[in-house]
Amino acid sequence: MQAHELLDILTRSPADAVKRFAEDLLPRLEPVEVLRNRTGLAMLPFRETAQESSFYLGEILLAEAHVRVARVEGYAACLGRDLEQALALALIDAAHRAGIAGPAIADFARTQAADLAETDEALMRAVGQTRVDLETF
Amino acid sequence: MAYVAARGGEAAILQSEQLHQLLNAPLSLATVRMIEASLPYLVDRVMGEGSLYAPELAALALAQTGGDLYEAVLLLRAYRSTQPRLAYAEPVTQTELLTVRRISASFKDIPGGQILGPSLDYSHRLLRLDLLDQDNQDRSAPAPPAATVSSDAPAGEVPPSYDPSPLAVADWQRSEGLLAAVPEVLPTDPASLPDLTREPADFPAPRAHRLQALARADTGGVLALGYASMRGYGLAHPTVNELRLAYADVRLRHPVTGEPFSIGRVRVSQCEVVNTQATELRLGYTATLGWNEVKCIAGAMLDLEMDAPQPHPAHSEEFVLYHTEPVEASGFCIHYKLPHYVTFQSGLDALRDARATATDAPTEPGDVQ
Repeated sequence: MQAHELLDILTRSPADAVKRFAEDLLPRLEPVEVLRNRTGLAMLPFRETAQESSFYLGEILLAEAHVRVARVEGYAACLGRDLEQALALALIDAAHRAGIAGPAIADFARTQAADLAETDEALMRAVGQTRVDLETF
Repeated sequence: MAYVAARGGEAAILQSEQLHQLLNAPLSLATVRMIEASLPYLVDRVMGEGSLYAPELAALALAQTGGDLYEAVLLLRAYRSTQPRLAYAEPVTQTELLTVRRISASFKDIPGGQILGPSLDYSHRLLRLDLLDQDNQDRSAPAPPAATVSSDAPAGEVPPSYDPSPLAVADWQRSEGLLAAVPEVLPTDPASLPDLTREPADFPAPRAHRLQALARADTGGVLALGYASMRGYGLAHPTVNELRLAYADVRLRHPVTGEPFSIGRVRVSQCEVVNTQATELRLGYTATLGWNEVKCIAGAMLDLEMDAPQPHPAHSEEFVLYHTEPVEASGFCIHYKLPHYVTFQSGLDALRDARATATDAPTEPGDVQ
């Protein structure tokens, strides 16, 4: 699993589950150097469909963390202002790229990905059921 | 303008704030969570006008202000000003949206189909008084059945698979030759776009400024001006080409690997309207953070109006963009509550002088008294 795929999954996973997993991982990662852990904004560019130009839709509040574990840097950001969630994600990112606890991380990510996929599929099934044929509407 | 300083009123001001809190529900974490969970469209509106996607903070702002929308938007904008801009996300494109609602009033049959999604468009506008009446009834009575999603498909039949990223109606129209092709857009640095939060608007505004201003505009202001256009003061009489509610992944570049990754999904809405009155189809467009259909439809109509060679004065770009900025407009309005005693006294003095001058003036022959 690529590092960006791992983050794609875990940033949308329940924060408590991610924090618990990182907590369990922590003894294997010490010493951890926290380079940055803060809240801030990301500006979101958006491509319009009328003239295909781009503009800023607005800003997104995020929490980010940048850590160093075993000389490998880890980074993550998540929506909102939960600094612990960002730190947990960055630790998992660092561990993954340092080759620490690879199977455990892969298992955790697979479980979370399955839950997210199930939620998405349920939503899309519900959305699909609102399709109307306007000839007979 | 002149003001007087307010002195000696600290106790009264503190008491006033306490009374405000007393007359509202107690501010608590539970209230904030309840607002975030049960009033998502209101939260979306505050985030869109606050130009900051932060549902938890928007809910807090609503709870803190007792639901005063303009105060809530101001709180969000004020908080935003305390935060550093850490990154520019990757541009969001139509094809990447996870679309949950997508309708067109121009064509019945659009590629991907008409998807009502979450909507009350076709529901009866009736108050559910039975909920209130539960207090007076036997609480053991069975609750009304929960709402379920139904479709044209017979029970048990699997609905047709849904593509959450259907082709844009405009792209289909271009492929059919109904709309002029747009020149190929080369990838641009996400940090290089004109940004209203960093530079003042100048007119004629770059399109990026116009669309950013509409995205953060006051819903009521955009609706009022858009409605004036719809009622006949405008030059365009468009149709909704496509309206979408969707989720968009916010993708940042990992500073170590350089690979983009998603930090989560945000709710977005966008609308295109199409005008058939010209010699060729023309599109108007507006998008915003959160789900807000009225603002996007009215904003898209104003986008068309602002492009007209001689728009109605209330639909000129400068008029629309200046007067739909919620924080500046509401701030200017409520500043009139502040003491204006010196200003008013000056006006009163001038009025008295004018009256005295009129009384003292000799009567000209022929003046009618």
